[in-house]
Amino acid sequence: MRIEKCYFCSAPVYPGHGMMFVRNDCKVFRFCRSKCHKNFKKKRNPRKVRWTKAFRKSAGKELTVDNSFEFEKRRNMPVKYQRELWSKTVEVMKRVQEIKQKRQAKFITNRLKKDKELQTKSDITEVKQNIHLLEAPHAVKPKKLEPKLVQTVQEDMEMTEGS
Amino acid sequence: MGKSKQTRNHNSDKKKNISKMWKTKRRTKDLDEIHKDMEAANAQKLLHQAVNFDVTGNAQFYCLHCARYFIDQRNLQEHFKTKVHKRRLKQLSEAPYTQEEAERAAGMGSYTRPQKVTVRTQPTEENMSVQ
Repeated sequence: MRIEKCYFCSAPVYPGHGMMFVRNDCKVFRFCRSKCHKNFKKKRNPRKVRWTKAFRKSAGKELTVDNSFEFEKRRNMPVKYQRELWSKTVEVMKRVQEIKQKRQAKFITNRLKKDKELQTKSDITEVKQNIHLLEAPHAVKPKKLEPKLVQTVQEDMEMTEGS
Repeated sequence: MGKSKQTRNHNSDKKKNISKMWKTKRRTKDLDEIHKDMEAANAQKLLHQAVNFDVTGNAQFYCLHCARYFIDQRNLQEHFKTKVHKRRLKQLSEAPYTQEEAERAAGMGSYTRPQKVTVRTQPTEENMSVQ
């Protein structure tokens, strides 16, 4: 028994699930559900379809190159059953999964950090370009009052000097 | 993606029954099959086929990239200038998608982006004589 990966979306295909298509040149394609099979029949490119793993990876949305991906692989080598080895691998799998999830989450947070920088940059430019909209409409009026104010202040000064 | 690419199918007989088009009964060649055809030995065979009266144009005018037979040289040349053909060349310009890539995308090994492939329309006899 082997848990295969879907040709289209890379999801796990458990035994008894999905379907298998064998092309007339004997090439085998496994699909996790009818959605993936239909998309294959429509000749869509998994790299161009947004919801597939192939798109996410090829577009740089997810972590692609990492040592944590080296554990799970198709090895095609029969391993003799050893109780100790099995119990150990089960323990290790949990730990590996933990590390993998952590690294993937970190990659995504790092990826999103750049967006914040760009956002602040664009905000600053927007404010600079449209600064004239921020000036209050009454900002001109006090200027008109100014000469009068100056006069009164001068008069006050003279008064104080005279006394 | 986003917007559907399907346009102009009002009078097209080919697109009358879409669900039939997508059946695997009359399946046309996939991109990875065409990539295999593009290898020199296979291409040589496909471009110089024996006369077959059952096939369009007696199997003498074949477009390698679109996997299509044409009735004569002129129509084949016209086809090379069309959008359909150019779009196909663009689709073929990346290494074909495989099950291995799907597995690598699923986290079985590191994922590397597909390599670029330079694709040009097949040289025809007319072009060869001009050159």
